[in-house]
Amino acid sequence: MTAAKIIMNEIKGYHNFVKFLIVLVSAGAVASLARFVFGLGVTTNLNDTFPWGLWISFDVVTAVPLAAGAFTLGAIVHCFHIKKLEPLVRPAIVTGFLGYSLVSVGLLLDLGQPHRGWHTLVYWNPHSPMFEVSMCIMAYSTVLFLEFLSPVCEKFGYHVPLRLLRTIEMPLVIAAASISTLHQSSLGTFFLIAVDKLHSLWYNPLLPLLFWISAMCAGISIIIVEATMSHKWMGQPDESELLETLAKILPYVLTLYLTAKLFSLFALTEGPLFDRPGLVALFAVEMIAGVLAPLVMLMNGSVRENNRLRSTAAWLVITGVILNRFNVSMFGMMEKGTMYYPSFIESVVTIGIIAAHILFFVLIAKYFPIFEHHPETVDYSIPDTFHKTGKGHAAPAKGVGSEA
Amino acid sequence: MSDLTNDFSKNKAFLIDMTKCTGCRGCQVACKQWNQLEAEKTEFFTGEGYQNPPLMSEYTFTRIKFRDYEKNGQNEFAFYKEMCMHCNDPACASVCPVGAFVKTKKGPVTYDAKRCIGCRFCMVACPFGVPKYEWSKAFPLVRKCTGCYSRVKEGQKPACATTCPSAITYGNRDEMIKEANKRIATRPEKYLKKLYGAEEAGGTSVIYLTALPFDELGFKHVTKRPLPSYTWQALRLVPGIFLTVGGSLSLLSWFTHRKDRLKKEAEQRDASEKAPKEES
Amino acid sequence: MTNHWIDLKNSDAILAIGCNPAENHPISFKWIEAAMDNGGKLLAVDPRFTRTASKADHYAQIRPGTDIAYLGGMINYALQNNLTHKEYVAEYTNASFIVNDKFEFEEGIFCAFDDQEKTYDPKAWAYEVDAAGVARRDKSLQDPRCVYQQMKKHFSRYSVDMVCSVTGTNKDDYLAVAKAFCATGRPDKAGTILYAMGITQSTHGTQNVRAVAMLQMLLGNIGIAGGGVNALRGESNVQGSTDYGLLFHILPGYLKSPEYDNVDLKAYLDKWTPKTKDPKSANWWGNTPKYTVSLLKAWYGDNATPENSFCYDYLPKRSGNYSFVKLMEKMGRGELQGLVCMGQNPAVGGPDSLATRDALGKLDWLVTVDLWETETSIFWKRPGVNPKEIKTEVFMLPAASSVEKEGSISNSGRWAQWRYKAAEPVGEAKSDLWIIDKFFQGVRKAYQKGGVFPEPVTKLAWNYGNHEEPDVHLVAKEINGYFTKDTTIVDKDKTLEFKKGDQVPMFKYLQDDGSTVSGCWIYCGSYTKDGNQMARRDAADPTGLGMFPKWSWCWPVNRRIIYNRASVNPDGIPYNAKRAVIAWDLVEKKWKGDVPDGPWPPLNDKEGKHPFIMVPEGHGRLYALDLKDGPFPEHYEPIESPAKNLFSRTQTNPAVKIPANMTSDTNKYPFIGTTYRMTEHWQAGAMTRSLPWLVELVPTMFVEISETLARTKGVNNGDQVRITTERGSIEAKALVTSRLKPFNVQGKMVEQVGLPWHFGYAGLATGDSGNVLTPSVGCANTSIPEFKAFLCNIEKGGKRA
Repeated sequence: MTAAKIIMNEIKGYHNFVKFLIVLVSAGAVASLARFVFGLGVTTNLNDTFPWGLWISFDVVTAVPLAAGAFTLGAIVHCFHIKKLEPLVRPAIVTGFLGYSLVSVGLLLDLGQPHRGWHTLVYWNPHSPMFEVSMCIMAYSTVLFLEFLSPVCEKFGYHVPLRLLRTIEMPLVIAAASISTLHQSSLGTFFLIAVDKLHSLWYNPLLPLLFWISAMCAGISIIIVEATMSHKWMGQPDESELLETLAKILPYVLTLYLTAKLFSLFALTEGPLFDRPGLVALFAVEMIAGVLAPLVMLMNGSVRENNRLRSTAAWLVITGVILNRFNVSMFGMMEKGTMYYPSFIESVVTIGIIAAHILFFVLIAKYFPIFEHHPETVDYSIPDTFHKTGKGHAAPAKGVGSEA
Repeated sequence: MSDLTNDFSKNKAFLIDMTKCTGCRGCQVACKQWNQLEAEKTEFFTGEGYQNPPLMSEYTFTRIKFRDYEKNGQNEFAFYKEMCMHCNDPACASVCPVGAFVKTKKGPVTYDAKRCIGCRFCMVACPFGVPKYEWSKAFPLVRKCTGCYSRVKEGQKPACATTCPSAITYGNRDEMIKEANKRIATRPEKYLKKLYGAEEAGGTSVIYLTALPFDELGFKHVTKRPLPSYTWQALRLVPGIFLTVGGSLSLLSWFTHRKDRLKKEAEQRDASEKAPKEES
Repeated sequence: MTNHWIDLKNSDAILAIGCNPAENHPISFKWIEAAMDNGGKLLAVDPRFTRTASKADHYAQIRPGTDIAYLGGMINYALQNNLTHKEYVAEYTNASFIVNDKFEFEEGIFCAFDDQEKTYDPKAWAYEVDAAGVARRDKSLQDPRCVYQQMKKHFSRYSVDMVCSVTGTNKDDYLAVAKAFCATGRPDKAGTILYAMGITQSTHGTQNVRAVAMLQMLLGNIGIAGGGVNALRGESNVQGSTDYGLLFHILPGYLKSPEYDNVDLKAYLDKWTPKTKDPKSANWWGNTPKYTVSLLKAWYGDNATPENSFCYDYLPKRSGNYSFVKLMEKMGRGELQGLVCMGQNPAVGGPDSLATRDALGKLDWLVTVDLWETETSIFWKRPGVNPKEIKTEVFMLPAASSVEKEGSISNSGRWAQWRYKAAEPVGEAKSDLWIIDKFFQGVRKAYQKGGVFPEPVTKLAWNYGNHEEPDVHLVAKEINGYFTKDTTIVDKDKTLEFKKGDQVPMFKYLQDDGSTVSGCWIYCGSYTKDGNQMARRDAADPTGLGMFPKWSWCWPVNRRIIYNRASVNPDGIPYNAKRAVIAWDLVEKKWKGDVPDGPWPPLNDKEGKHPFIMVPEGHGRLYALDLKDGPFPEHYEPIESPAKNLFSRTQTNPAVKIPANMTSDTNKYPFIGTTYRMTEHWQAGAMTRSLPWLVELVPTMFVEISETLARTKGVNNGDQVRITTERGSIEAKALVTSRLKPFNVQGKMVEQVGLPWHFGYAGLATGDSGNVLTPSVGCANTSIPEFKAFLCNIEKGGKRA
């Protein structure tokens, strides 16, 4: 059979949800084409008053912290040496790798001159946070790619590259954490220049710090959610024990965030806080639903141990981070009396990107060794083949990823 | 990247005395003619008085904003020339990832379209809302007042300054500020005792004199600190943060893996000790 | 202008009445603001709060058509408060002249009015003369029959309260303006009055200007720096067009056009050459024969000889009023075969546009010469008309723009500035000079084959070179004039020798014996043996008054401020040493400064002459002798008015016949309509409504209405409205603004509707024409239509709402 026929047969076998994702991704691709054929002005609701809209707010400013699990978990597992959480690392890396790749896709669509994207490599402006972020993201994407190569090499049995990769694993993890710290915070630095534009509820000099901390909260929460869902829907192992541990770490990070936020709000902010009722409402939801509620929940052991409640708490944090990023980059920037909402094409593209993330995650999980465990007892010197260990975990249930 | 010479006194600057402006729009048309900009399609006036077009845009680099209202029983028919402020330390230049904006030694802040990647950060950064975008194009670039750099570097005045019969004066920045203060001192009953643009955003190359309060004319309230300083106070920490995080994590890793290493070394020693024992 | 643009900077008070310099002459504001920087006050008097008013120190609202009341009130204010320049009035004006004892004025009518014909006999207003025929005077200004006392009596009726109840002006505003302006009566202060169509476009337009001139004479403001009676001309070269006699009633140089009863040259010269018995009166129009003959020599060259009265018989003799309005009426009756419109657009620019457009359809042929298709050139396919039903043959000739040809443009300040050709004309466009040259050649050729009375055309001297494009320099040189034969002229102690063909250096050397040629005597001196004076660009300003004597050339004889002999006292000492226009140097026995208005010594010298050299008595006329509607301005209401005339029982100008399509029925038309121009568009819009950058600024026809009128009619800003008058109706968008306010007319608030008249159905940006609404009735003296004051109605909606 020809390669095309093989692929078609594979796809025919996919779960309907996966097929649905393929449709969404295709729609996103068509919408992206429309952006190039008709121009940004026609296809988006962007204009001179709102030069940045959904694509920047979600596909860049939100998607980056949502992909933060990779570095967070990498640091926790390899630097803090909490080895038992090791199984969660690879899925996190895949999430990160996909997340950052799709950030680049979103960016390329949003740029007016995407074919000139390489200009940041040649024309430097160290004073620009965007220069810094683009350098970091390029570096970090490379790191993620190298980290992702491990399962790829394992799948195809490329032993020599694998050994190389294993050797540099530690440096990569440290580099990942350092670089991520920089660009996660620099996304906040972006908005430091909007001093007369971003509302006082969010504008303060600690914005970069807050972005970094909330990125880690998001990263951890995404891992909790992603692991829960891949067990529930993709037949992957039940990592509840590990997730409990993660759930224990999360409140500390949330508390750090809350402290920093309250300090910045009351000690460092100038300007009126409560003059825009709409913004006050958004801020309240962000803080209460996104920070306070999950914090309170996760301080309770029984919540941490309950799959559903733990998952709910994680979703709350994720929602809070998404809302925070939108508040900073979109809602808090809207001058009184002005409004932006995304166009149909902008929405289709973003939905397509989100669908692509889920789709490729599922496919990668299906075809590459992502969820298989690496218990401490496994020898990490050069393996000949990869062994699936079933120690302590149920066999994969019938579900999406396991069937051909 | 901004050309950070700290003495801006010999930069060329505009002194725009709005009390002398008659709202004739000679400047608007001269700018369009020099830059060969398209006319926008309008149906009626878009704002107070005879204002057109509704906003500055990719086709309109400068615009007279009209105010037509009554104050204390008197009519006020007043005008404000919106344009790029050619800041001393421009926000646009500092945020542009590819350094497409340059604060030239002569004064104008120029834009290099060849470098631009179209990310629109400059539009977000500019406190005056100056850079506009070619929304009509498939591969848009940013558009803004060029400060008529092509004319200024040949020793000419910008097109708007050349056309204006009375309101715009063009010359060295320190002289423009001196003249502005002189006018306020000579006719204190005529002018607001503040200049707009002298200190805003850390100082710009467009100094305004008005009779009416700034917010009544439509001037934006802008911080007096140079905007890049807000970013720089965070960005300058980047190398330090990188080294600190990297260093701390390395140190941490070394410590946390130490136990494993020691254990491994112990095992190896045991294994090597054991082996010879088994042989004998 | 008696003065010029840059001179405005020398003013202490600038009264802008019936004009809007910020919008219609924006560059002038540079000089107005220079005056204001030096403490000068800008006073804006206008029905609307315009862009000029926005810069003024004082703004006074005035009801359209009530300028004589306004100015008369200021005249009275100056007289009552002793603010006049006493010596100036006594010595330089005809204040001291005694009026004949038959003169009288009653209920708005001067003596000798023929009620049937609606005309006056101006002879009844003459001065009282003594046995020698010299006008009697009372230098003490006390004689009740002297002009001063008559004027005082006449304007005593113009009290501030009375005036404000007519003009609708707020009394405090009125007094602020009066006080600020009349303060310039002091010898060391200068006040200038700027005016334009708001003053002239009225059935009493000439009298409006008279009131301006009277006020200025009383305040001693004519002839001084920063003073004067200054018309802001409406087109860049309209000054040139009137200088060269494009109006129906004049020849080049403001010579009178011959009328049917000027049967021969002698009769013409006898009638139109004024005489004086006063040796101190220069009576410069006494040189009429020299200028007339020189003009005839220019036109007919060697064919013009003393024997044939220099071909005077070839000139057409006018038998009536051939003004624009009358032409359109004639055209409407089908009495015109053809019409040539060069750079004119009657379908939009003239009053009662609908009648004009219909009238164009009665022509056999029409030629339009313009840069674009104008409403006149496409009248035959205008909206609502079936081209098949129109029998007029229309030719459209594309014309070159002003930058595509070489020549001079004369500005309001009388400066003729030469311009070079900057670009080639587009496509087949040609200069007007080329077009007229070809017309002439074609007409002459046709006449050479025969025709009725061909000589006026075939005998014309037409020597403008042998190239395809006539040489404009030859035209300019002929306008300046040259000697037709070797001539010797003795000028006081100088003997001047001129060769045949030499350019005449100044008009005092023009002769009435055919030895000189001059196409326009006032431009004699503009192109001399030293070259084209109009092309000079020396920016030196030795007096600092902005006269720039070597920048271009102005008529007459490059005199920048005319009547400047009135800027000095009878001993030749400037009234204001800080702004001396001219000053008599006792040592060198000559004038320093501007070209003096007559080289003679100061008045008190035995050779001295009076300053107002263009009238036979040499004295500025506070009291006029030869206008059609009276020696003194008197307030009358516009023909269409919402108010009764409070000053007399004569409602409107008695010398103006009221045509059919006028009404003062305020039930039908309750609001005052007025027209005006904007910075962004120009005249009938042909030049601007096809330029996208200007169309972007003002894209559509609109009307300005007050907030109260908008509320009454339920109109919001931008709504479509319909405006109607007795002449027709139009639609436009409404601009609602607080800058227009209703007028207090005898206790009742009457609203106004402001209309720009730039729009029409041709070009890129179209709209209805404001002049569809305006009346064609015009000034008793000039026939200029009363565009500025009529009655209208306005309603929300319309077919295109």
